[in-house]
Amino acid sequence: MSAPLLEVTDLRTHFLTRAGVAKAVDGVSFSLASGEILGLVGESGSGKSVTGFSLIGLVDPPGKIVGGSIRFAGRDLVGLPPEEMRALRGRRIAMVFQDPQATLNPVLTIGQQMALALQAHARVSDRAAAERAAAMLARVGIPEAATRLSNYPHEFSGGMRQRVAIAMALLNGPELIVADEPTTALDVSIQAQILAEMKALARESGTALIWISHDLATVSSLADRVLVMYAGRIVESGPVGEVLRAPRHPYTRGLLDSLPAMAEPGQRLRQIPGTAPSLLALSPGCPFAPRCPRADADCDAPPPRVEADGRLFLCHHPLEAAA
Amino acid sequence: MLGFVIQRLLQAALVMLAMSALVFVGVYAIGNPIDVLISPDATQDIRAEAIRRLGLDLPLWQQYLAFLGRLLRGDFGTSFVFGMPVLDLILSRLPATLELALAAVLIGTLVGVPLGVYAGYRPDSPVARAIMAVSVLGFSVPTFWVGLILILTFAVNLDWLPAGDRGPTVQVLGIGWSFLTLEGLSFLLLPALNLSLFKLAMMIRLSRAGTREAMLTDTVKFARAAGLKDRTILRRHVLRLISIPIVTVFGLELGSTLAFAVVTETIFSWPGVGKLIIDSITSLDRPVMVAYLVLVAFLFVTINLVVDLSYALLDPRLRRHGAAA
Ligand SMILES: Nc1ncnc2c1ncn2[C@@H]1O[C@H](COP(=O)(O)OP(=O)(O)OP(=O)(O)O)[C@@H](O)[C@H]1O
Ligand code: SF4
Ligand SMILES: [Mg+2]
Repeated sequence: MSAPLLEVTDLRTHFLTRAGVAKAVDGVSFSLASGEILGLVGESGSGKSVTGFSLIGLVDPPGKIVGGSIRFAGRDLVGLPPEEMRALRGRRIAMVFQDPQATLNPVLTIGQQMALALQAHARVSDRAAAERAAAMLARVGIPEAATRLSNYPHEFSGGMRQRVAIAMALLNGPELIVADEPTTALDVSIQAQILAEMKALARESGTALIWISHDLATVSSLADRVLVMYAGRIVESGPVGEVLRAPRHPYTRGLLDSLPAMAEPGQRLRQIPGTAPSLLALSPGCPFAPRCPRADADCDAPPPRVEADGRLFLCHHPLEAAA
Repeated sequence: MLGFVIQRLLQAALVMLAMSALVFVGVYAIGNPIDVLISPDATQDIRAEAIRRLGLDLPLWQQYLAFLGRLLRGDFGTSFVFGMPVLDLILSRLPATLELALAAVLIGTLVGVPLGVYAGYRPDSPVARAIMAVSVLGFSVPTFWVGLILILTFAVNLDWLPAGDRGPTVQVLGIGWSFLTLEGLSFLLLPALNLSLFKLAMMIRLSRAGTREAMLTDTVKFARAAGLKDRTILRRHVLRLISIPIVTVFGLELGSTLAFAVVTETIFSWPGVGKLIIDSITSLDRPVMVAYLVLVAFLFVTINLVVDLSYALLDPRLRRHGAAA
């Protein structure tokens, strides 16, 4: 097998705040093949966005990658000179954000914004840029794309705006797109449409996709593999079907039980009790212990990392493997 | 858009009407110009004749109506002191002030905005700190003092630039302008710099604050994620995002500089309207004061109108005002 497109090893991104060090990403490892779709799920504050921003080298201060490596297409992105990282962003790794209302510049036409994205990486005339932008808008399902280039973001609906943002991300033909909850701000019906289109686009262009979501259901319909994140760590990962059918980590089970469509039959729908721990004061043991129904004295020690058959979990007392 | 323009024009006309009345009453209610214009030993006949000639015996409202009628015809009356039409008098001085004010605000903006944007982009760098120190100075050092220092340094000690006066002008459209010749510019430079210092400070503050805020937005983060260079982001995204407050302050500063450039005009013997109005206040030359204040109001209203209309150009979200929703 050839080397993976992306290989993240022991990534640590910490926020050095006045109150202390918030270990937002703490020892995250995973890899991603070309064209693969990876779901990254977890509750709010688990470090999903910070993981995504670490990949494109845009962690806001006081955040900083303090350890680990991000090998992308054979190069370590950690410590890459800023100008090289910039040249990579948008061209080989693109990112789509949650709120299209906030990401597009309200006072520039989308044609201007797409042209800037193209011209950041190559000499492209305004006319050629407009042609390529229109073609990409058409591909993401925007009708009358050529005439809409002169429109401003507020002249599009929420769903259309996010399509514009997706078109911008696809513009330079990146090998990897990091999509940070791009449908969360949208209506449910539009969410489903965009999800399906995004999957089709990624497949047909061979682009690898990291889809960040707090919603396991969304990820299940889209991803090949899933990473479950808790308190800055990957607590479980594996092929999406297997993980959903037979989660091994109690946290994954908890996430599943809080989904209407996936709760075990006859069981009441329930949220995971308690709240996510403060990242400032993590104990050496399992961070999920205060909320875990299976926790015992063992869990005061760091949980073992169990890896087998493409699945991985960090737990002293994992759930049974599927029969 | 057209409805919006018409609505704004009507508003502007109303404001002008109110202003003219206020100004007229305000100025005519203070002092007695006769005491200033006519020597106390003049005979009763001469006094009465002067009062009649100047229309000072009529009731105030009649004086105002007559004044308003003349105003609409562009006739602001005759200066008590100079004995010439007020409009001619002011117009002979206005270009000098206009030129000075515009130069000052332009310098303040063209220099201040890039400095402020940089200071907002790299707020912790030594350069940004130096820029902020300049802006603190600009706010806190009195204009007259800076003016004197400028004269002492560049005119007296170095002898590079003239110390005052307007120097040669070039006639365009029947009006004399300084900025069209190098020598004229040399006369304009020091007073314009003097006046621009405060505006510079203001523009630095304004664009620094705007840039700091803009840099934290998702818009800038998304542009970065697309691989745009920081320079491009500042030029194309940030500058556009902060343009509305900058244009607003540009207009306000232009208006207030036109109206109140008097300190600088006095220090540099710049023959503008600032000096004229001070002279007319001390001599209670009421037609000049009234016309001046009405003109100032007119300038403010016009500038506000232009600023309002330019909002629509700068922010597409405002453009559909009045258009079918
Ligand atoms: N600018 C910041 N300053 C300090 N700490 C931060 C900052 N940004 C993120 N963090 C820390 O990183 C943690 C993870 O944040 P992140 O945005 O990655 O969460 P998330 O999983 O994307 O959550 P959500 O679902 O709400 O988007 C936060 O809980 C916070 O402690
Ligand atoms: S290690 Fe213990 S506390 Fe943590 S998830 Fe497993 S059982 Fe629960
Ligand atoms: Mg997030």
